[in-house]
Amino acid sequence: MAAVTRIGDGAYRVEVDGRGEIVFVAGPPRDRWVFWHGQVFRGDFLTAAPRNGPPGSGPRAYPVHALAAPMPATVIRVAVKPGDAVKKGDIVLVLEAMKMELPIRAAGDGVVAMVRCREGELVQADATLVEFT
Amino acid sequence: MISRLLVANRGEIAVRIVRACREIGIESVAVYSDADSRSPHVAAADRAVAIGPAPAADSYLSIPRLIDAARRSGADAVHPGYGFLAENTAFAAACAGAGLTFVGPPAAVIARMGSKIDARRLASGAGVPVVPGETPEDQSDDGLRTAVHRVGLPALVKASAGGGGKGMRRVRDAGELDESIQAARREAVAAFGDGTLYVERLVEEPRHVEVQVFADDHGGIVHLFERDCSVQRRHQKVIEESPSPALTSRLRARITEAAVTVTRAAQYRNAGTIEFLLDLNRESGTARTAWAGHRVPDAADEAPFYFLEMNTRLQVEHPVTEQVTGVDMVRAQLLVAAGERLPWTQADVSQRGHAIEARIYAEDPAHGFLPQAGRLLLYREPRLPGVRVDSGVTEGGEVSIYYDPMIAKVIATAETRDLALARLTAALRAFPVLGLRTNIPFLLRVLEHPRFRKGAVDTGFLDREGAALAEATAREIPDFVRAAALAHDQPESQSAIRNPQSAMASWDPWQP
Repeated sequence: MAAVTRIGDGAYRVEVDGRGEIVFVAGPPRDRWVFWHGQVFRGDFLTAAPRNGPPGSGPRAYPVHALAAPMPATVIRVAVKPGDAVKKGDIVLVLEAMKMELPIRAAGDGVVAMVRCREGELVQADATLVEFT
Repeated sequence: MISRLLVANRGEIAVRIVRACREIGIESVAVYSDADSRSPHVAAADRAVAIGPAPAADSYLSIPRLIDAARRSGADAVHPGYGFLAENTAFAAACAGAGLTFVGPPAAVIARMGSKIDARRLASGAGVPVVPGETPEDQSDDGLRTAVHRVGLPALVKASAGGGGKGMRRVRDAGELDESIQAARREAVAAFGDGTLYVERLVEEPRHVEVQVFADDHGGIVHLFERDCSVQRRHQKVIEESPSPALTSRLRARITEAAVTVTRAAQYRNAGTIEFLLDLNRESGTARTAWAGHRVPDAADEAPFYFLEMNTRLQVEHPVTEQVTGVDMVRAQLLVAAGERLPWTQADVSQRGHAIEARIYAEDPAHGFLPQAGRLLLYREPRLPGVRVDSGVTEGGEVSIYYDPMIAKVIATAETRDLALARLTAALRAFPVLGLRTNIPFLLRVLEHPRFRKGAVDTGFLDREGAALAEATAREIPDFVRAAALAHDQPESQSAIRNPQSAMASWDPWQP
């Protein structure tokens, strides 16, 4: 059914029922980005279960027992210490990136086991910041 | 005349200014932080000077480093762009002190119009309506409470030195008044180091309409009509257009005249923007309730617009004005800064057709518009008739965490608003950006919203509807999208790849 023709670097023309669709593809196989007609899909297209939900619902799902940095950022405030009980929605720390303050909130109830960042520290995306028990 | 211009900025606006310089034969000098050494604005300029580490405070916001860069590169003029030091009195003064031509108004004018209280007073004194309100002499809780009484509810309590929504509180009923005053003062002190508050009447569902003005050293003042920037998210403009769909020609004549009046009263120089709130509800006769029996006086019964503030710089959204008037605003800025006359009179300029700009931000609308950083794995700007793209990034480049997440502006121009809208939609559908999330899918949903299509949005539109527009409806990946994603894994030598289901060879005229 679908004939795929490479028409440029990362650009493909796919023929569907006689109609051509232009699709752009980039990224490694396990974290692939695809653009078509103003829409972006991201995920692992090689495995059986593609992560194709709403934008951003893809590969980054964090376990409830840890909070990770959603992007490279500077830690400007740590609001918890080990042993603190937090409730879902509580601000655990505040990051700063691109001139914006980003409060990072607890995804669920828990007790802080370890704080793995310091105020003023520059953290990378996906770095674990706080662990819960 | 200016012979060598230092561009004290980065990103798309630095590229834009460098291009204007090239056209008129001025040498350009880019400045760059450690994070930007391979940025397009550096490549575009004739010369480039490193000015320090990535954090803006140590580079693009450092007055001594910028002045030093200008000296070292032999520049005789400085263009501040927008943001960073563009409206910083000390920077304008430092440039003048170092014998550099500052492309913008004199420091004293920036100072005068930078204070919301002073600017308001000046506009009001010139007979231009301002939102009813006051800065009480008595800045105690009591004094502010009395001021709110006089102005009427709903009201806004704002920081005098404010901007960007910080130090600003809406008060809808008397019960929340004390708390709002204290919160606004705390934020004002924290954000601006100045707790002075002013109180003004809250205009419900206003439109944001601004007028572009220019003034030279020879008494020439010309306006370049209006822009409508009502599509805002938390006071950040997202989509701008010209002409405003909300203005009648009669209203346009009055609002542009008011803008020229303020410009003259401010003894303004160079490019500036006068922002107005347009209150179409009031024009249609909506009664406003006075609070506690006070009759609320209406200072501007005859005009449905109010002076809001003046921006003493080139605006992000200047291209929509350039598109409908056909002028090069950066060139005009450079001429005026060099002491020449404006290159056009009021009679020379007219609005022709319609232009709409969408700002492309590296942000994830589905996750609270979180700014995104990372490498642009694939970035291809649309090339279509009537579509202009101003950008400061290229494919393979990094979007860093240090600066504003706006990476490009797409401006579509056509004979009518509907056609410009269709053109912008087509352009965004043909603008693949991969490697980090952008607001392109979100922008498309805004452009397709019936209220926007009708040209009937107010400044609260995105904050009310944005959450729904930000969430993409979960959808299956179409099979052909999956086919292309999988084809990408094949060795490049097999440039024509077919799905196993397809036995037919395909031929494509575009294939290299």
